[in-house]
Amino acid sequence: MPVSRPDSPMRTPRPGERPGSGGAGRALRAVGGPAVMKLVVAGGFGVGKTTFIGAVSEIPPLSTEEHLTQAGAATDHLTGVEHKTTTTVAFDFGRLSLDVPVPLELLLFGTPGQDRFLDIWYDLAAGAIGAVVLADTRRLEASFTAATFCEQIGLPFVVAVNEFDGAHRYPEHAIRDAFALRPNTPVVACDARATSSVAAVLLTLVQHALAAALARPAHSTDSTLLDA
Amino acid sequence: MRPHSGPKPLSAGASVEVADFVRTYTLTGGRTRPRHRLRLETVLELGPGRPGPALPLECEQILVLCRIRRRSVAELAGTLGRPVSAVRILVSDLLDTRALRVPVPAADSAYIPSSDPAAGNDPSVKLLEAVLAGLKTRFPDAYPQAG
Ligand SMILES: Nc1nc2c(ncn2[C@@H]2O[C@H](COP(=O)(O)OP(=O)(O)O)[C@@H](O)[C@H]2O)c(=O)[nH]1
Ligand SMILES: [Mg+2]
Repeated sequence: MPVSRPDSPMRTPRPGERPGSGGAGRALRAVGGPAVMKLVVAGGFGVGKTTFIGAVSEIPPLSTEEHLTQAGAATDHLTGVEHKTTTTVAFDFGRLSLDVPVPLELLLFGTPGQDRFLDIWYDLAAGAIGAVVLADTRRLEASFTAATFCEQIGLPFVVAVNEFDGAHRYPEHAIRDAFALRPNTPVVACDARATSSVAAVLLTLVQHALAAALARPAHSTDSTLLDA
Repeated sequence: MRPHSGPKPLSAGASVEVADFVRTYTLTGGRTRPRHRLRLETVLELGPGRPGPALPLECEQILVLCRIRRRSVAELAGTLGRPVSAVRILVSDLLDTRALRVPVPAADSAYIPSSDPAAGNDPSVKLLEAVLAGLKTRFPDAYPQAG
């Protein structure tokens, strides 16, 4: 479910969820304003994620930091205190407001370049419409983890091949084979620096997410029989 | 607290920044958990309440930013250059005093008639259709390309 509402229970469940982010706070709420939707831009280091977000964001992409606290491997033998390490990891943030036909805010989240910080990937992907897995043909493998992650959590995604100057252009089936994609997963080419090209990738993603939402059992015509 | 005697992360791209962590810890009065459920995408706007006295500078900055326009937790943290975990706690304090509040979109805010009868009234499908229509309107020259 793509809507991000602070009071709704929808989120990607994960083991060892950090306390606090799911706590039952009673914040003052007011009805009004556009719905907020999330989109994720994933892929390895240097594939063009920040450039991609910057091409459509109305603010320059922000680098937002998060501290990940990890239990240390060692326990202090004198005090029995388990050591914790805090790692700083940064992700990109951009924002795109749409006004017509209805006001909507799209928040764009870029995954950290290092794909070992999966904890933060869950936070970025929770409640998202879907993900753009950005790939550089010179090292497709840098984006394999991103595609696997999306498949595992059931997040609709498209593979967008960022066509760097001078990089070899592969036919679509070669990209599909390399990523072992399902037949319905879209593969598109893009120039992460060009607004219309990036917008086209987002269109493809939302179209794909819509098709996936319509294909879910709740939307099949049979479900009315079950409801009756 | 014994600073930083645990193992270091392996990646060169990540760093253990003790000074940074201590600074954040001080900023939030030693607290590490917010009382409110705040996601990265939770949006904050100014509320009717008054913030308490002796407000940390960062809280004042948050109020200034949200007075200009509503902002998400992720945007506030990125703009302030503070970690999300610290900003969650500061925002939580500001929610307690109603200096900030969480706007919730009206249930029908994204309602547009669905072209597909099978879609029914599911807001997720409606919202996706609204996003699609919004993107097409905003970027009329965007043509999906085959890979
Ligand atoms: N020629 C070309 N360069 C690009 C393109 N996208 C990104 N770059 C450049 O590639 C480098 C890495 O891009 P960046 O967006 O920082 O990658 P990230 O690590 O995934 O965020 C930067 O120097 C960009 O200017 C593209 O489509 N074409
Ligand atoms: Mg980057």
